[in-house]
Amino acid sequence: MSLFLAILLRFVGLVALLLVNGVVLIYMLRKVLARLHLRIGPNRTGPWGLLQTTADVAKLLTKEDLRATPTDRLLFNTAPYLVFVPAFMAYIPIALSPVLVAAHLDTGPLFVFAVLSMVPLGVVMAGWASNSKWSLIGGMRAAGLQIAYEVPLLLSALGPVMIAGSLDPLRIVAAQSGTWLGFIPRWFVLPQIVAFFIYAIASQAETQQTPFDMSEAESELICGFSNEYGGMRFGFLYLAEFSNMFIASAVGTLLFFGGWQLPWVATPLWLAPIVFIVKVYIGIYFMMWARGSLPRFRMDQLLGFAWKVLIPVSLVWVVLSGVVIRLVSR
Amino acid sequence: MIEGTGWLKGFVITFRNMLRGPITVRYPEHKLTLPERSRWAVQQRLNDDGSPRCTACLICVKECPDDVLYIETSAAEGGGKHIDRYVYEIGACMMCGLCVEACPFSAIEMSHEYELATRHGGDLVRVLLQDVDAASPRRERKGEADA
Amino acid sequence: MTGVQSILPEGTQPTPMLPKGLKRVPSGVDQLATEHLILNVGPQHPSTHGVLHMLVELDGEEVIAAEADIGFLHRGIEKLAESRRYHQMGTILDRADYVSGFHTETAFALATEKLAEIEVPRKASWIRSLVMELNRCASHYVWLGPVGMDAGAMAPFLYLMREREMILDVLEAISGSRMMFNYVRPGGVVRDLPAGIDAPLRAWLAIADKYLGETEDLLGGNEIFRARMKGVGVIAPETALAFGMSGACLRSSGIDFDLRKARPYCAYGEIDFDVPLGTVGDAFDRYKVRVEEIHQSVRIVRQLLDGMPEGEHTSKVAKALRPPAGEVYAAVESPRGELGIHLISDGGPTPYRLRLRSPAYYNLGVADELLAGGLIADMIVSLGSLDIVLGEIDR
Repeated sequence: MSLFLAILLRFVGLVALLLVNGVVLIYMLRKVLARLHLRIGPNRTGPWGLLQTTADVAKLLTKEDLRATPTDRLLFNTAPYLVFVPAFMAYIPIALSPVLVAAHLDTGPLFVFAVLSMVPLGVVMAGWASNSKWSLIGGMRAAGLQIAYEVPLLLSALGPVMIAGSLDPLRIVAAQSGTWLGFIPRWFVLPQIVAFFIYAIASQAETQQTPFDMSEAESELICGFSNEYGGMRFGFLYLAEFSNMFIASAVGTLLFFGGWQLPWVATPLWLAPIVFIVKVYIGIYFMMWARGSLPRFRMDQLLGFAWKVLIPVSLVWVVLSGVVIRLVSR
Repeated sequence: MIEGTGWLKGFVITFRNMLRGPITVRYPEHKLTLPERSRWAVQQRLNDDGSPRCTACLICVKECPDDVLYIETSAAEGGGKHIDRYVYEIGACMMCGLCVEACPFSAIEMSHEYELATRHGGDLVRVLLQDVDAASPRRERKGEADA
Repeated sequence: MTGVQSILPEGTQPTPMLPKGLKRVPSGVDQLATEHLILNVGPQHPSTHGVLHMLVELDGEEVIAAEADIGFLHRGIEKLAESRRYHQMGTILDRADYVSGFHTETAFALATEKLAEIEVPRKASWIRSLVMELNRCASHYVWLGPVGMDAGAMAPFLYLMREREMILDVLEAISGSRMMFNYVRPGGVVRDLPAGIDAPLRAWLAIADKYLGETEDLLGGNEIFRARMKGVGVIAPETALAFGMSGACLRSSGIDFDLRKARPYCAYGEIDFDVPLGTVGDAFDRYKVRVEEIHQSVRIVRQLLDGMPEGEHTSKVAKALRPPAGEVYAAVESPRGELGIHLISDGGPTPYRLRLRSPAYYNLGVADELLAGGLIADMIVSLGSLDIVLGEIDR
């Protein structure tokens, strides 16, 4: 197999994963929120409304590409890609199984966080270029929020990485195989419970979901930075959000829940991707559950929470677990 | 800031409601029964033989706050009134039921017809009666007294 | 500029339309040429609860000044009332405060009865109280849900819709319509309570407190919601009085004034209930007062249902009612406050003048003072906590 073909196949595979994920996740979000709210959710397009998202994508694709005159043309047009491309790139080091990975990176989680930290740039750009006051405020909020929550997100990932002694996703997962005391799976969520909660909160904020959906606080800013976008440009912004959800849950699964491994039994290679995807989707369900259950923070409370609570706690936790790991491994 | 466990309780409540199942009524397939007093489109009440009970007394026309009813009458051949057209502008009707309350002959009633969307604006003007002899008010009252 | 005649004097330029109080002033940050942002909130904004237009002056996210601009839903109800006969009035008064039509209807019926000196049967008064309390719950439900949504919680809104639906079903069975009732008339009510109304009402009474408790846990029990509501939009008792506020907004500031207790009408004199009061006057107090009012309404409905008297549902009133010339004022405690009808008759078949004292109009008046100084998010929450219904404000 030629190198070119291999790259092409991986690229196509990633695009397919991202698009299928987007379609499935949007459907899932609607259904889960609907059930939490005593509703049915989409049920008209196709059996159980399964084709609803497909229909929506078709609608977005065929919509007129509309741009208001006072917008900044270049920035307005590039912003959705600046949001979308990092979300796409973040899929690269996500290992669905020991072999099913687009590119094996030694610094997997770090690469994901680094790439995703480019998202606020696109968001601010979208907010600014829209030349709308609402979009501007939404973009600024999103940037402030993502910068604030990236720090605890990274720090919370340090704990598992320290235990595993590596940033390599394969070795992190391998370090989580087997059991403690014969029956507790060696998942890092148990020794790193505090880090996990910080990770869960910070990733909820990074994916901009309630209670942290500042940038598009519907009751305040209508749709935030994506106010002026329509058609597939909006589709890209929307898709990026959902793919970020998948990424957040996938990285969480790798770091805290043993990746593709089943507890107690060895996982056959063919089953590994399925186990991984199921775990990821359970994680996403919890994110959606929080979205359906909680009110929204105010911007200053949100930033205060990040800088005054989450970051100090995670710093202390990193030091603590570093000391403990050093002592134990002696 | 998150000093208590109230937010966890919220998770429990939403999950409990999720288990309760949706309350949505899947409308075109399932329909709720309307209470007997529900007020929707006005319709004519007819006698058993299909003749109208309307005497063209025009009380309903005068009663309507929005002037959605009008009756065109002419003299009938055998005396009395002949209804050329009894027109009901359903598009302007707010279904307040004042016309039905006012009708001394119970010739009109509020139906339970609530699916009122139409494809053409012209369908919003309904002709409830056309080219019929109006009931005689005297005979009608007598008939009610007999019954 | 051909064909268009300028109304301005020769040589003058049209000045930008900025209401007084709002200024595009330099924000004074680091010698930059930045200025305050004037933001139009509404009338198509999801959180203005109708077609309210707010003009706010922003420094970053902080609201420096705010001004409410109303009138988008003006339908001339007061003027229309001058061409409606007394028994037809329900059709337009329902549409003034469309969330609690029974209160406007009853206020008008009370005013007319005072003017024409009509005796109302005891049963009619009790039925009126019953439907008004049910309507108060429906109205508070549809306030509580959206205020949760203003704070970002969507679930309570849809849970409360479930209970509201039960009430609306009952009201439809009683009056024939879900919101535009046209049921209370001078002299009594149109028809007696239907047979079998007890069962669905008791079904609602059985779950009302429990389900409301769940909503309280979701909102008031939630730390985030408390952090959003506490200390936000504080109305001092003096301010509340100065602006003529009434209802839960006034009571949350600690002033005990409820028309049902102060000037009992209908059946309220014979009913036992409490008037919840707030202490601080912030948005959270208004939330607590309204939730407690629902609990009290449940209590009232239970008493009304148990003690419903026998008898006529209406007294004999001439269809073409011509009250003697005169002037009266009658008010009821609507979910939003003192809803008054000021009626002037010249002896004709239609009122000479009808004026609606709409409580939300007075409650909204405080907005300009209330919103300045908070953040955008605070503005949304404080505005929502006032419980405005634009149909009633604009009339």
